[in-house]
Amino acid sequence: MVITGRLVLLALLGVVPVIVYPGATSILLWALLLAAAVGLDLALAASPRRVGIRRTLPDGVRLGEACASVVVLRNDTPRTLRATVREAWQPSAGAVDPEQSVVVPAGEARRLTLRLRPKRRGILRVETVTVRSAGPLGMAARQVTVPAPGVLRVLPPFNSKRHLPSKLRRLRELDGRAAVQIRGAGTEFDSLRDYVRGDDVRSIDWRATARRRDTVVRTWRPERDRRVVVVLDTSRTSAARVLDEPRLDTGIEAALLLSVLAERGGDRVHFLAYDRRLRARVDSTAKGNLLASLVTAMAPLEAELIEADWSRVPAQVRAVSPHRSLVVLLTSLDAGSVEEGLLPALPGLTERHVVVVASVRDPRLEEMGADRSTAAATFRAAAAERSLLDRAAVAQQIRLLGAEVVDAAPADLPPLLADAYIRLKATGRL
Amino acid sequence: MSSDREVMGDGGSALTTARTGLRRSRPVILGVIVLAVILLVNLLSGPEEDSRPLSPGNAAPPGARAVAEVLAAEGVDVERVDSYDDALASLEAGPATLFLHDPQQYLSSSQVEELIVLADRAVLAAPGERQLAGLGDDFAPVGAVPLELAGDAPTVAAGCTDGDATAAGTLTAGGTAYSGAVECFPVTVEDGGGDAAGDATGGLYTTNSDGSVAVLGAPSILSNAAVTDAGNAALALRALGSSPTLVWYEPTGADVVATGEGIDPRTLLPPWVDPLLLWLLACAVLAMLWRGRRMGPLATEPLPVVVRAAETAEGRARLYQDSRAVGHAAATLRAACLARMARRLRVDRGASAAEVIDAAARHSGRPRTDLEQRLLHLPTTNHELVLWAQDILDLEKEITPS
Repeated sequence: MVITGRLVLLALLGVVPVIVYPGATSILLWALLLAAAVGLDLALAASPRRVGIRRTLPDGVRLGEACASVVVLRNDTPRTLRATVREAWQPSAGAVDPEQSVVVPAGEARRLTLRLRPKRRGILRVETVTVRSAGPLGMAARQVTVPAPGVLRVLPPFNSKRHLPSKLRRLRELDGRAAVQIRGAGTEFDSLRDYVRGDDVRSIDWRATARRRDTVVRTWRPERDRRVVVVLDTSRTSAARVLDEPRLDTGIEAALLLSVLAERGGDRVHFLAYDRRLRARVDSTAKGNLLASLVTAMAPLEAELIEADWSRVPAQVRAVSPHRSLVVLLTSLDAGSVEEGLLPALPGLTERHVVVVASVRDPRLEEMGADRSTAAATFRAAAAERSLLDRAAVAQQIRLLGAEVVDAAPADLPPLLADAYIRLKATGRL
Repeated sequence: MSSDREVMGDGGSALTTARTGLRRSRPVILGVIVLAVILLVNLLSGPEEDSRPLSPGNAAPPGARAVAEVLAAEGVDVERVDSYDDALASLEAGPATLFLHDPQQYLSSSQVEELIVLADRAVLAAPGERQLAGLGDDFAPVGAVPLELAGDAPTVAAGCTDGDATAAGTLTAGGTAYSGAVECFPVTVEDGGGDAAGDATGGLYTTNSDGSVAVLGAPSILSNAAVTDAGNAALALRALGSSPTLVWYEPTGADVVATGEGIDPRTLLPPWVDPLLLWLLACAVLAMLWRGRRMGPLATEPLPVVVRAAETAEGRARLYQDSRAVGHAAATLRAACLARMARRLRVDRGASAAEVIDAAARHSGRPRTDLEQRLLHLPTTNHELVLWAQDILDLEKEITPS
């Protein structure tokens, strides 16, 4: 049972008889009037228990975009339903108008559209729908909270998509280049074409020239059908925020750009999210949209507050790709955790695969290192420089073990990682 | 788009909701009941418990039940009254002794006078100076009886001709000495001056000339604790037990006579003010119920952990500063500076500091000694560290402009 502001107003009106006829009688009579109004309203209100609720939610929405939760209320009672409906979305779902009023005539249904603008990636939930059914006088209402769970999957925004066209163009430029410019172990013969002035004479195919009686050169195309394994570290170090974004989210952006680029480049992409156990796995197959399955798998990923177990990563990689592949490790280069975790496990990967270690660097450290205005700031600068030196030392150790290192600020990491991939492909090292 | 199946109701009815609400508020209801029971028990048992000092019903050490019981056993009718009108009625009924114990001095002098006139004999327990004013027998309080060195009440001999006092012989009690026509158990009260000149004497048991009014300066002789000491019991029984009836009167605040004819401010208000306030209170409760009802339960948000990546560096900086690690900080800053210059000047990564400085000198055309002096000098105080750190940062920017 709920009372409304209208009842309180009516009660305040009772001040007049109480002043005009002071005494217990007027008070009692007015209280009786209020009780009668409440009782009448409650008796005439449509039962909120006999209201059918059907919710329709989109499968997923990208972070930063709006979506709608559509609720259809069906009035199963012989009375008109004057309802206020609230969907109990968790606050980060960003419900613009969680409480809505609607009048549903007897036996009919009405549609309520609740606009959502999610503020966080992940699985957002709604557990209940509360229906408050007011009587015809609007003095009192009946209220019922109906358990109606719903789930909205908020996908990563893929902001680095804007880099995709330029990177794809660079990838395409690799096609049809003369072999010498990109000579390497893995380039493949593509086709023959007529010699044009400027082509390297070393790429002339003399046998074909003899047959055609015209100078013909061989052209090459970048290798295809290689394997790219992207391993995203979801351990405790990925929870750290760099420029108000967790490392995990930056890693997701970089992984998305690289995966889409590699798939368009004709390679097979495997994505693993790993800390101590496999959190997500996506393989590019012949059919199906890789991007869609990637964002769906990445949406519920959260940083786990445990240390990553790198010793089992080589086995995981071998399980998805037994052949030589490009292994991209999206992790952090914090001195300490890397030295004990990643470094001992790296040789197991580098002996079979081409390994790229990608990490987010905190631009704040460089700002701290440049500020030397006061004693406290200078000590901070020293501490920041120490961190950067340690980082550089760790990166150097990783390079000595035969892996490449991409260390960049959050906004630069996805394009730089894509560049590293294109460079490896161009030099035929995949 | 995914569409869930239709849900209807919470699987209950109005009755189950009411039952659930009742079950949920059970602790509150139980608490209210317990509170009410405690309140009720306190209200009911309150009057039965008598803990007032010198009350004839109080058997505790400060009470005076022993004296009252003994008097009753000796055939004296002990009537206990606690209102002025009852006291007057009891005194009028027959020959009676009045015992007036009024430590809060509720009664006025005229009331006391009226009581004494009606009583055959009156014993006033430590009355106030104001109450004595109307008696006209120049009773007056002299002062508090000094205690002995050990903190005990002094033992005083009768020292007068009053029959009750001489029968008692000695008295052991502290209290107030009064002056009057017949002063028994005299004590000397110092006025604080130190010499004997200002000292006054008074009696612990003072009567007027015909013995009908007695002022007992030491009412504690009646208490259960002290009544058996020295001659306390004898004085108490003889002073109170001379008439067939003893009216034991302990005034309360209700006996206070209002001095002025004040106007009750409530009578000036119109008659509807009280009902209006009551009604507005009811309206306020309704408004609280209206605003306090939520639309369903609160939604919970699983909050993520927020760890700022640069936090470890900040913590290390504070450690440096707290331990005044100037040399260490300077070495780090120089190492970072040399490492950056080496990268920009394309010197081998493993090169020593001297080699980097050589390259920097060649690149910038500065004298090598100058660079060496600026880079290799290590500061020792915070002030020097700040200046030096800024200097090498400037130097780095000059040599390798970005």
